Amino acid sequence: MKQTILLGALLVALIGLVALPWFAPYFYIFIVTEILIMGLFAASFNLVFGYTGMLSFGHAAFFGVGCYATAMTLLHLKWPFLYCLVLSVGAGALLALVIGFFSVRLNEVYFAMLTLAFGMMVFSVAHHWRSVTNGSDGIAGFTLGDFGLGLDLTLGNPAVYYHVVLVFVVVAAAVLYLIGRSSFGMILQAIRQNPERVAFCGLNVRSYRLAAFTLGGAFAGLAGGLMAPFLRVASPEMLHWSTSAEPVLMSILGGTGYFLGPFVGSAMFILLETWITSITQAWMLFLGIVLALMVMFFRRGLLGTFLDWWLERK
Amino acid sequence: MQLLKPARLLMTLVAVTGLAGAPAWADDDPIRIGAIYILSGSAANYGKFAQQGIQLAIDEINQDGGVMGRDLEVITEDSQGKASVAIQAARKLVYQDQADVLMGLDSSGVAQGLVPVMPELKKPLIITHAATPDVTGKLCNAYTYRISNNVAQNMKAAAIIAGETGAKRWTTIGPDYAFGHQSWEFFGKALKEANPDVELMSDTAFPRFGAEDFTPFINGVMAAKPDGVLISVWGGDLVNFVRQANNLGFFEQDMEIMFTVGAATEVLSALGEQMPEGVWLSTRYWYDGFDNDVNKRFVSAYIDRYGVPPSYNAEGAYAAVYAYKKAIESAGSTDGDKLAQTLSGMSLDAPNGTIAFRAGDHQALVGPNWGKSGPMNEKHGIRTLADLRIFDGEKVSRTIEETGCQL
Repeated sequence: MKQTILLGALLVALIGLVALPWFAPYFYIFIVTEILIMGLFAASFNLVFGYTGMLSFGHAAFFGVGCYATAMTLLHLKWPFLYCLVLSVGAGALLALVIGFFSVRLNEVYFAMLTLAFGMMVFSVAHHWRSVTNGSDGIAGFTLGDFGLGLDLTLGNPAVYYHVVLVFVVVAAAVLYLIGRSSFGMILQAIRQNPERVAFCGLNVRSYRLAAFTLGGAFAGLAGGLMAPFLRVASPEMLHWSTSAEPVLMSILGGTGYFLGPFVGSAMFILLETWITSITQAWMLFLGIVLALMVMFFRRGLLGTFLDWWLERK
Repeated sequence: MQLLKPARLLMTLVAVTGLAGAPAWADDDPIRIGAIYILSGSAANYGKFAQQGIQLAIDEINQDGGVMGRDLEVITEDSQGKASVAIQAARKLVYQDQADVLMGLDSSGVAQGLVPVMPELKKPLIITHAATPDVTGKLCNAYTYRISNNVAQNMKAAAIIAGETGAKRWTTIGPDYAFGHQSWEFFGKALKEANPDVELMSDTAFPRFGAEDFTPFINGVMAAKPDGVLISVWGGDLVNFVRQANNLGFFEQDMEIMFTVGAATEVLSALGEQMPEGVWLSTRYWYDGFDNDVNKRFVSAYIDRYGVPPSYNAEGAYAAVYAYKKAIESAGSTDGDKLAQTLSGMSLDAPNGTIAFRAGDHQALVGPNWGKSGPMNEKHGIRTLADLRIFDGEKVSRTIEETGCQL
């Protein structure tokens, strides 16, 4: 019964998202586009954190590299957008494979510090390699051409781009969800709960962790690739550790225990930011208060707390 | 996804009220100006002066009956000096706040990011400070204008002065983004053309924008022993730079020193006597340099109201509001496309004289103001400019072909 209600709510939400450009104010197309992309970014992080139990502080590296990959291909090679995205996914995955190779052998705070260090290395490269990355100004001024596959889409139209993002995010989220439910995903969750036991079962914990980390990087790369045409600029800030903190905050706000938690967290984060910054510049102060309250009283996040309560209710 | 429900309810509510209200924003509603400046961080003072300039212009105009009988109103957003933030702010101003026109921008990096997006927003943008030549060059478009002078104009003038000093070996210290690098590039090109025997040193210093400690860069330049140094550090950074340079004896060296935006009154009032005498300072507009009625009225009204002389950023913002007034009145409309067309080639009487937006690249042909820092003006608490030279905008501007702008 409750399963049906949940499924129904999800379906209604999805229909609402598809129909959004026809009933919401124009500005909210931008807000929801950002929520979707950042939600995917946070969900890719949650595969590493919520499922596998590795707290990475360098996840922005894969997001940013994906963004640069798309921005630079659009600027220099003018490829169709779809191919740029494929490149972004590849770039995110490859970088995650390299960073992960060195990082997943460590645990807890050592893993967190190592990912932070690697993330800041990538940031430094983008910040200083002016001839390639245009330094702190970033890559801007690229134009959107075709989508690819012979589809006739005006990507420059925000409503069209919103729908493109929606399709990509929904499909990517579905794939992530299925990964989480597969036997592979079950092993990841087992690793979070008790890595020794998984190792004693004869499984190579390090390879599984590396696989999860690389997959997370690939989806973060996709989110970055989607972000480039939305922001119209790929800048080093997107690789900075403060951007790595965003999916952490979003996952905690929404709840790491449920698959849609990071998406809800992303919506909370961006809507609060939009509303609070129109009243005061001190939005980080309010975010701090909300976050402190969440961690103290709703450790499972907004969606997590609600679903826990609702599903246990007779 | 549960949370989205109340949010969506709210959105629907906003949509419905928005739609119902639509016919109401007719003639008695204010005309909205969306302004984007740096309001936080080390250059926040520039945003403050710009806001004051805008407010002064708006109050004058509204007291005088407004524009086509409608009041002007400004909504200001903080760019934080970041392109992505400025683009989001511009979208919010146009789509959410229903701004009719846009103005502002303090940073070249921000301008390079935002300008290519303007044709989508379909609203005119008058840049009042950001100086990268690209936005009235290879990135130019039908909606983007600039009322302040750009790096190419200012560096052409700088090269003329540098040539006269006779210094042969030149280097630079500038912020590590478009502005610092382009200042050096355009200065070098113009200087080399006029004086083929000068040496542009490869030892240059580009500290990060917002860096607190300039000591290693100052020491590096002193060790290289150049004859002349072009310094394009600006904002709060410039204040820090000059203080640290004083401590290190930088100004006692036998070098020609040229500050490309050193006569910003924001910086001069923060430094007071710490700004050394006898160095070359440039500004887009020097309040004491123009003997015309518009300037006299502007400067005295500004000092009366805010107690300090207007900076170039205040002047640019003030003039841009008047440019929009004139454009809206001649177009007889606030339609973005019509206004963008009207601005092309339009001239107006600004505090720094009669200026016109050139039709070929939308750049106002305004000349930079260069002078040597002189004795203190005790009343205003800032250095005066001696040997003030107001360059002719026409003579220091690139030709349309040189800009690479295709409209």
